Amino acid sequence: MKEETGSTLTLTGVTKRFDEFTAVNDLSLRVRPGRIFGLIGPNGAGKTTTIRMIVNITAPDEGTIELFGQQINPELQDRIGYLPEERGLYKKMKVIDQLRFFGELKNVKGKNADEAIDRWLARVKLTEWKNKKAMELSKGMQQKIQFIAAVMHDPDLMILDEPFSGLDPVNQEVLKEIVLELKAAGKTIIFSTHQMEMAERLCDDICMINRSNKVLDGTLREIKRSFGRNAVALRLEGDGQRVLDDTALVAKVEQHSDEMEALLAEGVDAQELLRQLVASGARVTKFELVEPSLNDIFIEKVGEVE
Amino acid sequence: MTKFLAILKREYNTRVRTKMFIVATVLGPLMILLFTVVPALIFSLKAGGPTRLAVVDESERMYERVRGSLLNERGEDEGGAPAEKPAMPAPNTNAQERMRQAGEAVRATFDVRQVPLGGRSLDSIQQELNEQVLKDQLDGYVIIPKSVLESGEIEYNGRNTGDVVTSNQIRERISSAVRDQRMADNKINPQLMDEINKPVRMVTNKVTETGREQDSGQGFAFVFIVGFLIYITIIMYGQVVLAAVVEEKETRIAELLFSSVRSFPLLIGKLIGVSLVALTQLAIWALAFGAFAMWGVNALSASGLSISLPHIPASFFVYFFLFFLLGYFIYATFYALVGSMVTTTQEGGQVSMPVLFLLIMGFYLAFPVIRSPGSPLAFWVSMIPFFSPITMIVRIVTQTPPAWQILLSLAIGYATVVFLMWLAARIYRIGMLMYGKRATIPEVLRWVKQA
Repeated sequence: MKEETGSTLTLTGVTKRFDEFTAVNDLSLRVRPGRIFGLIGPNGAGKTTTIRMIVNITAPDEGTIELFGQQINPELQDRIGYLPEERGLYKKMKVIDQLRFFGELKNVKGKNADEAIDRWLARVKLTEWKNKKAMELSKGMQQKIQFIAAVMHDPDLMILDEPFSGLDPVNQEVLKEIVLELKAAGKTIIFSTHQMEMAERLCDDICMINRSNKVLDGTLREIKRSFGRNAVALRLEGDGQRVLDDTALVAKVEQHSDEMEALLAEGVDAQELLRQLVASGARVTKFELVEPSLNDIFIEKVGEVE
Repeated sequence: MTKFLAILKREYNTRVRTKMFIVATVLGPLMILLFTVVPALIFSLKAGGPTRLAVVDESERMYERVRGSLLNERGEDEGGAPAEKPAMPAPNTNAQERMRQAGEAVRATFDVRQVPLGGRSLDSIQQELNEQVLKDQLDGYVIIPKSVLESGEIEYNGRNTGDVVTSNQIRERISSAVRDQRMADNKINPQLMDEINKPVRMVTNKVTETGREQDSGQGFAFVFIVGFLIYITIIMYGQVVLAAVVEEKETRIAELLFSSVRSFPLLIGKLIGVSLVALTQLAIWALAFGAFAMWGVNALSASGLSISLPHIPASFFVYFFLFFLLGYFIYATFYALVGSMVTTTQEGGQVSMPVLFLLIMGFYLAFPVIRSPGSPLAFWVSMIPFFSPITMIVRIVTQTPPAWQILLSLAIGYATVVFLMWLAARIYRIGMLMYGKRATIPEVLRWVKQA
């Protein structure tokens, strides 16, 4: 497979310390081209520090970072689009002037820059705000301008640190669409967040870090599969309670509003439970093998360390 | 290089195109006038009408002369003024002396009336006059005793004895009247006495390499304005740099900037961009001054008002340019450092106090340097890079030091600039990315070692 051969970004044994505190400890990861890579973890886990090293704002104390097949260097910065978590605009500068300035910092100038700016402003429906000062824009609008600043130079790698925070649901959806378009155009995207639902909907690959250490990585599919907890979502009509009470079969039952979740006992096949329920005369209206959500995995993995 | 230029261009354009810049450019020269001329004027200003003065003449022969002298019927210079007063203001005097002279130029005016003795005792007259003073019918009264010609003592009682200008005038004018009376008693011709007392007139020439030039006082004003201009421009644009750095830190734009540019071109682009704004402003002022010197002065003298501007050699502009930039880069680099260490503008104001203090010290050191530009003190302070932008330019204007001193001062200064920028670039990036709390000095020192 293609993913196996190339990689956009490779971190090997990267460590970053601030005085006594180790912000990132011996982190290795690989981001494959054309995929959305989720860097997830709780606040203060070391996500932003990791990203800063990838963008070449700070240098790692140990380990190497390889980007587009080269050792990380300032020239590569032009091929990265970075939307920081802590972001801002010059309050008194017009939108168009800011974007031209940020474009120039990425070596996009003149007509090319203006075309890109117009195209992107239209895409996020802010064309009529072009000549307004940043301070006149709402926070959500400013965030979209910041996104344009990160994407207007057509980077090969996009790094989005908490891109959805502060956006209303409509704009979250617009941004999500754009991210998927970028992916379809072959761009590689690193997406950092602590919002698991969003990561689950967007990411192909996941790296979870907690307290400066990597706790988990792989494709979202693999991770979920390895976390199969053998749970079944059930809706029954009639009497199946007797079967569910059998502790040899079911370890635990959680009652939800209109359905229940049954956690199977060690070594029991879900198929066996279904057979028993049918045999007991209960009417099974829903029977579904439950995958753990990323949120469940997150809580489990992060909880483990605590 | 493109990125560096982008930074520089942004810093320049966003500032020069603002209303603030235009306002500051127009108001700047007015402010300088305000700071130099107005304090002197305010000091000499006396609100209200003439001072109402009553005279009790116990000698019964002095009143007419005293009244004449107080009302100044004899004219100002006719021996009335103390002999030591120079005919022309001397250059190279200090500011206080200037202010005193300016204060004297605005003379007090008086309403004078005599209090007839009418056989009453001095006490009862005094009581009556005191009441009038308290009721605000009178501002004060003078008692001239019988023995005034011998003892030379008079007494002034007034409501506001803190008004030294007025009480000095009273003393001087009455003493002139007393002197005239003494002369008349001794049959001395007052005109002869005036001839004898006539002060010498001194023409002050400044010796320069191009020859002698007459200096009739504007020399001091010019030196003062030059020193003040450098001082105020550095403060102004240092603050601009501070605000610009704090804005980028506060709004977190810094993070985005560092993901595109190295910290060194970022810092230098900012400093040079703002320096060009300052130079633009100074150039506008210089052109306006030049235009005034070429046409304005002629027009004014044609209408009867003659102003003589000091002769400014072209080399002065070169020195001014070099020393202004020196001062700007030293202090602006400091301000940029402070900006990267703090979290808000207010905090920036507090932390930059020591920087401001250095600058103010440089400004005050200009005064002893103006008085004795060749002294060892003047030499040393014009070698210290934090002071030399002001002190050396002051020396150059008053008494140009040998070229090697100027060059040495510039060399030390610009070496300091290079060192400070090197230091700043190391601290800048770390400081700018540290949010939440103000960096302490030990922390900053550690960053220097780490970077």
